[in-house]
Amino acid sequence: MTDATPAVEIVDLVKDFATSFRRRKLRAVDGVSLRIGAGEVYGLIGPNGSGKSTTMKALLGLVAPTAGTCAIFGRDSLRVDSRQEVGFLPENPYFYKHLSGAETVRFYGRLCGLSGRVLEDRVGEMLALVDLEEARDRRVGGYSKGMLQRIGLAQALVQEPRLLILDEPTAGVDPVGSRQIRDLIFKLRERGITVFLCSHLLEQVQEVCDRVGIIFQGKLVKEGRLEDLISIEDQTEVVLRDASPELVARIEELAVTGGAELVRSGRPRTTLERLFLRETMKGGKDS
Amino acid sequence: MRRPGKQGIGSHGGRVLAITMNTFTQLVRMKVFYFLVVFALIMLGSNFFDLPQHGLPETFGFSVLRAVMSWSLGAMTLFSMVLAIVATALLLPRDVEDRTLYTILAKPVPRIDYLAGKLFGVLLLLAVSLAVMDLVMLGVLQLRMSLFMGQVEAMEAAGQAAEKVARMRAELLANGPDWSLQGAVVAVFLRAAIMAVLALFISTFSTSTLFTSIVSFLVYFLGYFQADMREAFLRTTGEGLGVLERGGALLLTLVLPDFQMFNVIDAVIEGAAMPLAVLGKLAVVAGFHLLFYLLASWYVFAGKEV
Amino acid sequence: MMKPWQRLGVLAAGLLAAGALRLPVEARWSEEMRAAGLLRQGLQVETKAKIGQTFYAVALGGLRTLVATFFNLRTIGCYESLDWGKMDEIYQTMVTLAPRTGEYWIAGAHSQAMNAASYYRNDTFLEMSPLDREANWRAAVLRGREFAEQGTLNVPDDWKLQAFLGLLLTDRHKYRVFGDPDATFEAAARAYRAGADAPDALPFMRRFEMYSLARVESRRGEALELARKLYADPASRNPLLQKVCFALEVWANPTVVDPLALAVEVFGSEQRAYRELSQYWLHGGAGLPMNGVAIALAGLEAKLDVPAAESVLQQSVSRGRDGQDLEE
Repeated sequence: MTDATPAVEIVDLVKDFATSFRRRKLRAVDGVSLRIGAGEVYGLIGPNGSGKSTTMKALLGLVAPTAGTCAIFGRDSLRVDSRQEVGFLPENPYFYKHLSGAETVRFYGRLCGLSGRVLEDRVGEMLALVDLEEARDRRVGGYSKGMLQRIGLAQALVQEPRLLILDEPTAGVDPVGSRQIRDLIFKLRERGITVFLCSHLLEQVQEVCDRVGIIFQGKLVKEGRLEDLISIEDQTEVVLRDASPELVARIEELAVTGGAELVRSGRPRTTLERLFLRETMKGGKDS
Repeated sequence: MRRPGKQGIGSHGGRVLAITMNTFTQLVRMKVFYFLVVFALIMLGSNFFDLPQHGLPETFGFSVLRAVMSWSLGAMTLFSMVLAIVATALLLPRDVEDRTLYTILAKPVPRIDYLAGKLFGVLLLLAVSLAVMDLVMLGVLQLRMSLFMGQVEAMEAAGQAAEKVARMRAELLANGPDWSLQGAVVAVFLRAAIMAVLALFISTFSTSTLFTSIVSFLVYFLGYFQADMREAFLRTTGEGLGVLERGGALLLTLVLPDFQMFNVIDAVIEGAAMPLAVLGKLAVVAGFHLLFYLLASWYVFAGKEV
Repeated sequence: MMKPWQRLGVLAAGLLAAGALRLPVEARWSEEMRAAGLLRQGLQVETKAKIGQTFYAVALGGLRTLVATFFNLRTIGCYESLDWGKMDEIYQTMVTLAPRTGEYWIAGAHSQAMNAASYYRNDTFLEMSPLDREANWRAAVLRGREFAEQGTLNVPDDWKLQAFLGLLLTDRHKYRVFGDPDATFEAAARAYRAGADAPDALPFMRRFEMYSLARVESRRGEALELARKLYADPASRNPLLQKVCFALEVWANPTVVDPLALAVEVFGSEQRAYRELSQYWLHGGAGLPMNGVAIALAGLEAKLDVPAAESVLQQSVSRGRDGQDLEE
């Protein structure tokens, strides 16, 4: 398995859906091509109904493309074994309510062909990773939204896939939960796992992704490295601590002589999120 | 590092087993199932009360034992039929609604494994429930038998003719439980199994539990006429039946299952013996349906977009 | 990539093919099961009217025997309300649903030939002219026989049903309803034989076959042969058998046999012979042979010094074919 094989390769994907009106077909995805290298974190962003979910489903073999191909680590998505390397967390996941957290992870592990001691160890490992050990024997029917997301991650990762696909991973999750999920994604990237996520929460995508694609009305309208895309090219940022007003005035003069313009100075703002986290993390972990 | 999940038969088995046990526990923990269980237990428990039956004194013990058997097998038939249809009908729509279907198919799970697991989960549930009801029925029969036996022994002690006592004892045993009765219970299971796989098939192209259930019940009732339609097609050679009617009879004969064959159960209650060969034939018929309709379900489901 | 309608076509073809595969196999196996008596004809549509819609649906659902037990419950009401017509209908329905249950046939025939008949003849609260009573009584008895005979067609190996039929046909109060006595007794003999041939029949069936044959003049030869066979087995040598054998032997060889000596030989002692033969003479059943009985009794009375006033032969007996039932 060479590293040159991209984790995800989608080539000219087209997907039409038949609507109730016989003649007109709805073209959900219109010639999307994208490629994700191994170890990257890729974010696919777009408004609701732009074709994000359909693209993911085609990649997972849940729908068959009208035209084009999808491959995961070189294996065509329509093949069942291509999913051995993938873990998927759907949007608003529900799991079998009658199972406990541990039983759920164990069930999905069995579906991947794990068993016995190996499976048990993996279950424990996953639950520790997503921080659900205390709730492992509680029925999933009683889990909060954040816990559902985390158990979803646990089941997605149970077979140690090299690619993780996340559909709106932080939608509806409170800031603390969101932060935990983001930290998890960073940890996974460190391990070399490729992450492909879809979201319309742009702030969060910005924090986590290496590369980003914008999809709109079924077409990929922009794609590239995050840094390249959002850096405002003609501006530079400098942040000072304990600077006196006189120093700031001198820097402004320096800028003008250098042919630049001081756009703005003042106190940078922290984000409301950081404030929230700072206040609530003191009170312990969430339920 | 060896990756698990290679596509050998063993791995199929592991996945199917996981889904089977999951379906089984899911159904067992459903409130609907509890209600049905209570219903069935009430029906069986009613055997403990002396429902008046008319019988001549010569027919010693017959009516009570016969009544217990027909009540019990009747309850088993109803319960297994409702369970087979409704439980199967709700499985796929519920997975789609809860989106658990996505998470399962996003794993390396072939769609046939998924369907097979669902079906076997229902079959396991049917087998276990029928086994429990069978035990209850045998328990009641044994209880009644021993009461009657006590009466026979009392008569013996009171000095009745040995021949008469022996005759009563033999007659009592003849009306009691035997292997044919167990065969009848197996036949109930086989019939329900056919309905379950049919319901599964219908649910692959229907999106509503209600619709699937209604159509399945319809198929069940029509299945009792299938044999008549088959006879109509085979026996009449054109006189009395128009081409259209024969064509219609043929079509329905080919599409519907033959449930009249399972009326052997009635014969067993009436006292006939069920040879093993007959049970074997019923098993072959059931097996054929299970295999074909599972594959047909796979065919439909494989083309379905989730 | 197949179009949806193409997929549908393949599916439909598959369904029809699978059905075509099943067809001959299921047809053959159903036929075999029907021949073995395990399957009955499908529920006839006429029955539907009788049992009503819901029950019909249920009976179709493979619960016929259960429905039959429900109907058995209903018969109790009829016994209390003495509605014999309704009772007949209910039993008819029951045997349609569960035709191989001998007990239902017996119960149905019994309710007509015994219960209903007795009601019409004896019930004091019934307001009916004697003529009507008689007519209804006859009708009930005939109906009972008809029902029982239908039953023997459906359940030929149920010996109890045959026994019931035989008893009905030889009942001293009722046999005359059935027309020619010879024909009636021969029918009884046939019933007893059919029952005796069944594997689990009790031994008395064979004896009863013999008795029935003995009642018919033209069949006494057969009866004698059978009687000798039965007599050879000491276990079946009960009093009635002895009496009938005695009479048959005398009938067969009237000139050779000495009735008195034979009587003593058969019954063991003069006293016993007198006791048994007196009883036979006074209460012997319809049409049973009486050859040599009078002669033997006369001889025994002489030997035992029975006073003329107490002679059995003086007591009034309506001979011919009246007499007591054969219950032993």
